[in-house]
Amino acid sequence: MTPAEIVQRLRAAFPDGIEAYEDAILDPAVRVSADLAHAVCLFLRDDLGMDTLRVITAIDRPPEAIDVVWHLLSMRDHQTIVIKARVPRETPDIATVSDIWASANWFEREQFDLVGVRFTGHPDLRRLMLPVDWVGHPLRKDYVRPDVYHGIPTSRSAVIPVTHVAPPQHVAKAEPLDNLMRLNMGPHHPATHGVLNFLLETDGEIVRRAQPDVGYLHRGIEKLAEMNTYAGTMPYTDRVDYLGGMFTNQGWAMACERLLGIEVPRRGEFCRIIVCELNRIASHLVGTGSMAMDLGAYTPFIHWLRERETINDLMERICGARLTYTYMRIGGVALDIDRETLDKTLAWLDHFEPICAEFDRLITGNEIFVNRLANVAVLSGPDAQSFSIVGPNLRASGVKWDLRRDEPYSVYPELEFDVPVGLGWRGSVGDAYDRFFLRLIEIRESARILRQAIAMIPDGEIRAKVPRILKPAANEAYGRVEAPRGEAGFYVTSDGTDKPYRVRMRTGCFTAMPVIEFLSPGLMIADIVALIGSLDVIAPEVDR
Amino acid sequence: MLRDVANRLQQFLGFDPATFGYSWVVGAVVIGIAAVAAFVFIAIFAGPVTFWERRIAGRMMSRIGPNRVGPQGVLQWLADGIKCFLKEDLVPASADSGLFKFAPYLVFGGFMATFAVLPFGANLVAADLDVGLLYLLAITGLVVIGILMAGWASNNKWALFGGIRAAAQLVSYEIPSAFSLMSVVLAAGTMSMQGIIRQQGAWPWDWFVFRNPFLFAAFFLSLTASIAEGNRTPFDLPEGESELVAGYHVEYSGMRFLWFMFAEWGNLWVISSLATVCFLGGWQVPGVTPDEIAASTGLAFAGWQLASLFVFVAKASVLVAFVIQVRWTLPRLRVDQLMITCWKYLVPMALFCLAGVLVLLAAIDENGIADWALRGVSMAAGVFIAVAYIGKVRASYMADRDLYRRMEGKELWYPPYRLP
Repeated sequence: MTPAEIVQRLRAAFPDGIEAYEDAILDPAVRVSADLAHAVCLFLRDDLGMDTLRVITAIDRPPEAIDVVWHLLSMRDHQTIVIKARVPRETPDIATVSDIWASANWFEREQFDLVGVRFTGHPDLRRLMLPVDWVGHPLRKDYVRPDVYHGIPTSRSAVIPVTHVAPPQHVAKAEPLDNLMRLNMGPHHPATHGVLNFLLETDGEIVRRAQPDVGYLHRGIEKLAEMNTYAGTMPYTDRVDYLGGMFTNQGWAMACERLLGIEVPRRGEFCRIIVCELNRIASHLVGTGSMAMDLGAYTPFIHWLRERETINDLMERICGARLTYTYMRIGGVALDIDRETLDKTLAWLDHFEPICAEFDRLITGNEIFVNRLANVAVLSGPDAQSFSIVGPNLRASGVKWDLRRDEPYSVYPELEFDVPVGLGWRGSVGDAYDRFFLRLIEIRESARILRQAIAMIPDGEIRAKVPRILKPAANEAYGRVEAPRGEAGFYVTSDGTDKPYRVRMRTGCFTAMPVIEFLSPGLMIADIVALIGSLDVIAPEVDR
Repeated sequence: MLRDVANRLQQFLGFDPATFGYSWVVGAVVIGIAAVAAFVFIAIFAGPVTFWERRIAGRMMSRIGPNRVGPQGVLQWLADGIKCFLKEDLVPASADSGLFKFAPYLVFGGFMATFAVLPFGANLVAADLDVGLLYLLAITGLVVIGILMAGWASNNKWALFGGIRAAAQLVSYEIPSAFSLMSVVLAAGTMSMQGIIRQQGAWPWDWFVFRNPFLFAAFFLSLTASIAEGNRTPFDLPEGESELVAGYHVEYSGMRFLWFMFAEWGNLWVISSLATVCFLGGWQVPGVTPDEIAASTGLAFAGWQLASLFVFVAKASVLVAFVIQVRWTLPRLRVDQLMITCWKYLVPMALFCLAGVLVLLAAIDENGIADWALRGVSMAAGVFIAVAYIGKVRASYMADRDLYRRMEGKELWYPPYRLP
């Protein structure tokens, strides 16, 4: 089914709800009336199989309107469609779709927080990233940043001398509970992988509810991107996912290349794939290793870090950086990969692949480890789709969806690799052990891709000829890659200037967070640790 | 030992100190010397064993470990101790300051009191109580109170979790531990530590662990339960770094923190020496009976003491190395699995062993054919486990060595018996 056919079906079902079909933009969009947006979404999910909500974006269009954009995906039919609705800026009310897709809950909270769209009927419309007492919505075009917040200057240039003002009274985040204990897990807790906070309501060791509280690492990268040129945003994308910087680099580059209509040279694409798969291995090493560490086994983590150290060395040879790479450029990559580095990579792979067996001997088959993870926090396939879970977590729930295979990009179609799905190896499909073990299989698959890519890499240019100043015409594009934590998507709206009009980042960890609240009732505190570890959540991706 | 020292003192002085008007002074001095000796031993055991443990951990994790302070880092433990001395002693404002300050001493006291009955050599024991084993099992209860007190007084929910977990865990694991040690008491017919050792011989076939299959099983049950009582991985739930941050001692710093650590690493010795005493023949030196040692005099007496001390420390050290290796290999149990392991598996198995030992004691003559057959079976099982264990370790090492050779084109950077 093409987008045009979808529009025909929609026109038939909602004769006066469909305002326009915008097929001139890169991702064809259907503009519907705001009153009918909820009904259209429900129709799309139930009748047209749009089982997944990719992202909700609100775009401020002063002086009078705000656009709300839904990116929908049908994993069943390999079909995408973009729905848009326009609400007035003074009364930005639109019906929530959180009853249709569970992931909409947080997407809408975030857009309410940053753009100020009020989603009526939303179960819990509070600010997500910013403090509850923050004034204004930063992603509105007429937003003026306050100079001070609780006596703290908000900009570096306005740093004032330290004054001995009494700090604001500590406000308890939540009310006390009857019969339950309120426990703050984080933001400085060893198991939260960065600065995340979970408000636990526990009955002894048993958790009744774990409510994620995010925003500690919110740096407003979407806002920064609006203030920067297209090329100048590249270094910020590293910071979105510090364990998989190459993927966010590539996602951003792909979105911009689509806007500008740039074709990346073949060698450039191979360079990208090689560094990305190396990066994927490194990220999964940290993910699985730190998961073992969360369960009390320190040794496997250090062994994985030793292997990752070699990857860091290889990355340093390739691009000079070990963590925040900024290796990709719009139109290609920054530096070529020389033959010696490729040989070193192959030599490392010869060493690394048997090491996987060593790791399995050490921890994967360990009876205690298996019993800690098997049948814990089982996430079913439909639930995972409803929560827009992506990447290894989705595949562990038995849904075979991998962007490299299902929405192919770059030169992945030429490479041979398997997409593993969770089979309930030691428990049931979608449990914590499946999520762990699936990552170990993906490490091996990445090694396989690496070998092929190194064998196939052609000679030639690494970067297309790109004008010095990038000024894409007014258009919209969604670029996405299969990152280690799932789809890393960049929705870029351009307006003909050298700066993006609106940038929306969709990351795997953001949608993985509400799932923790969904799965937490009945788990024990130690299981919450295993759950966070198995979802491989890292804080900067959640907050951006 | 006290009586022994008194006798020798009497010979040296030429009169009986008991008739000496100030005999309590003599008693106090002897007790003081014993206490200081035990404390010094804990200090010079618990300190270096941290270094030892960290080097083993480094080795297992394919990193180096501390090697900067002193030759090969052997003085690292001193540096750590000095650091803890110099740190600020923080008491949280909302903590119950009296209990908070007192708890570490309770933990340390409960742990240190076990050294009153733990023997080190033929005559090297502070007090050879007739109820030594019972005393040891009872006095460790102080540790539970101390940990619970630390967890509660910190006024921190994570610490409270740690304290409550510790109380539940320690009290539960006392039971299989006690049952499996009771099998030994049955076989030995005494609760005195030295008595238990005297009932065994110097050679492995005389040890209780290889006496019969039930005692063989009881050895492993007792060791498991002891590791759990010592809060070591896979049973380190009260501390559970990734779950409870640091558990019951999360709010402690400086010297008070050090007391907990002292007890934790010293516990390694208690675990290992208890197993050595009860199952592995204690300090028995091959080729000489305890009676001959007691009858010897002068230099020979001192020599036998040293030899027995050496044998004891060697046996305990092997166990210490094993416990350390277990710690850096296994992940942690969950709290419900911990309780299931104890109540559903260890307790019934320990009871079964106890009953089995009883039946064998009644049914089989000592040194009869059946007795020696049972010893043979147990020995065979022990040898099989040891060979399989060493073989597995060796196979893994060989695989790693070949990998390294393939990767780097040269030999492994250091063999396992040499330090980097």
